[in-house]
Amino acid sequence: MKSRLLRNVLGSLLSFVLVMGIWQAIVVWGQVAPYIAPRPLDAFRAISGDWSTLWPLTLWTLRETVYGFLAGAVLGVVFGIVMHKIAMLQRVLYPILIVTQAIPIVALAAPLVLMLGFNLGPKIVIVAWIVFFPVTVNVLDGLTHVDGDLLTLARVLGARRWRTFLVIEVPAAIAPLFSGLKIGATYAVTGAIIGEMAASSGSSLALYQHNANANLNAAAVYGTTLIMTAIGISWFLLIVSLEFWATPWRRRVTARRRRIGGKHK
Amino acid sequence: MSHQDLLRLEALRKSFGSTVALSDTSLNVQRGSFVSIVGPSGCGKSTLFNMISGLERPDGGSILIDDRDVTTRTGQVGYMMQKDLLVPWRTVLGNITLGARLTRRLTYDDRRRAVDIAQRYGLGDFLHHYPMALSGGMRQRVALMRTLALDHELLLLDEPFGALDAQTRFEMQQWLLSVWRESERTVLFITHDVDEAVFLSDRVLVMSSRPGRVVDDITIDLERPRTLGTLTSAVFNGYKSQILEHLHGRVGP
Ligand SMILES: Nc1ncnc2c1ncn2[C@@H]1O[C@H](COP(=O)(O)OP(=O)(O)OP(=O)(O)O)[C@@H](O)[C@H]1O
Ligand SMILES: [Mg+2]
Repeated sequence: MKSRLLRNVLGSLLSFVLVMGIWQAIVVWGQVAPYIAPRPLDAFRAISGDWSTLWPLTLWTLRETVYGFLAGAVLGVVFGIVMHKIAMLQRVLYPILIVTQAIPIVALAAPLVLMLGFNLGPKIVIVAWIVFFPVTVNVLDGLTHVDGDLLTLARVLGARRWRTFLVIEVPAAIAPLFSGLKIGATYAVTGAIIGEMAASSGSSLALYQHNANANLNAAAVYGTTLIMTAIGISWFLLIVSLEFWATPWRRRVTARRRRIGGKHK
Repeated sequence: MSHQDLLRLEALRKSFGSTVALSDTSLNVQRGSFVSIVGPSGCGKSTLFNMISGLERPDGGSILIDDRDVTTRTGQVGYMMQKDLLVPWRTVLGNITLGARLTRRLTYDDRRRAVDIAQRYGLGDFLHHYPMALSGGMRQRVALMRTLALDHELLLLDEPFGALDAQTRFEMQQWLLSVWRESERTVLFITHDVDEAVFLSDRVLVMSSRPGRVVDDITIDLERPRTLGTLTSAVFNGYKSQILEHLHGRVGP
């Protein structure tokens, strides 16, 4: 177990070094001008030099991402369950859900600002808008494809319907739920940044980057991108860890907690 | 009369399309008896159990337990299906207590009894294992314990020992007999193994296929408790050849 974790961390580190190496190589050997693309180290230096400004902005973007993600996840789960339970609703809602995803997000931003102002509101809506869809689809799929034999088993044991739902169907849908959440997690930060681009008064990471670009400060532009990416990756990793923790039966031989009726000898 | 019969089947039948899985079958099973069913593959044994357990709706006829009509009612009997279905995200303990969790509030007592029974029958070290980590024989034992845990008087066991080696199988047979005796259950037991059927039962029903029906009903008059010696006795072999004749000697209907 431990060694697998170690290998994963090592692999991630290696891929980070690899990407930075390629970046460095392109800039140096391609003789790219520093105002077009900085070297990796310069990008890092640019953000660390202005950290006192960037840190609050980062936290702000992180907050938009997290709130929006949570809203989207909850919405997605609710939609998934409701659509699974009520077939008619599924037929009515499914086309609508697909339409929501066909609308270009950028086009959505302007009216949202009008409705919700320049604050947290529109960003949360945009992020949730992006996140809920893969969650709904995966939860619905998971619930639809619960192993029929297990449902039969529940009937044999004389189960009530809602207990079957809680004890059999919900756990069976956890793995698909996390597939949806992971897709949502990678897109969430993109949604937040789109929201910031379309609806920022005052300051935000997107605006900061926009200004850096206007000043031909490529190092800061790339640096800001690194921060945004880091937010996305951290959130994704958190979800993956959560999945790891929530589905022990997929990788462990025994349960973690020792809960038994009698004293264990 | 009827209070002695725990289970009564009246003119029960079932077809799937043009396949007659079970043709008109009437049957009484005495309370406290151990009845085995043998027959070729596809003769409707599992179909019969599916109907008794309420999973499958018969095309006609009725099923009575204690004179109550339970046709298409689930949760009235303990049924261990042919396929050993364990819930992959529940441990051995969680699987044994699954019935309680699905029907009512799981109590401390449920858990303690599950631990007890698991420890007594060789799964004590595996209480917290997930099914993925169990052998086929262990899985079958867990499924059997789960079936017993709900305390239904009537037990339907569909080839419960199919995946066991001879040694474990014999132990499990002994165990089942002791459970049956101590807890005063009534057992209907499907097997392909004629030795097993004769060894365990008070009565063996022989079925034949196309259409699926009961062709013979043999009372096994062997002293209990039965031991290894029983297996080699002349009377035992007499019953055995009688059943085998029925199974293999059929030329026509
Ligand atoms: N759900 C179903 N749909 C269609 N046909 C079925 C269905 N279930 C059973 N049958 C058919 O009914 C017949 C009896 O099947 P059943 O499973 O009861 O046999 P069995 O005696 O249990 O056989 P085995 O010993 O192999 O388990 C078979 O011909 C089978 O193909
Ligand atoms: Mg069968």
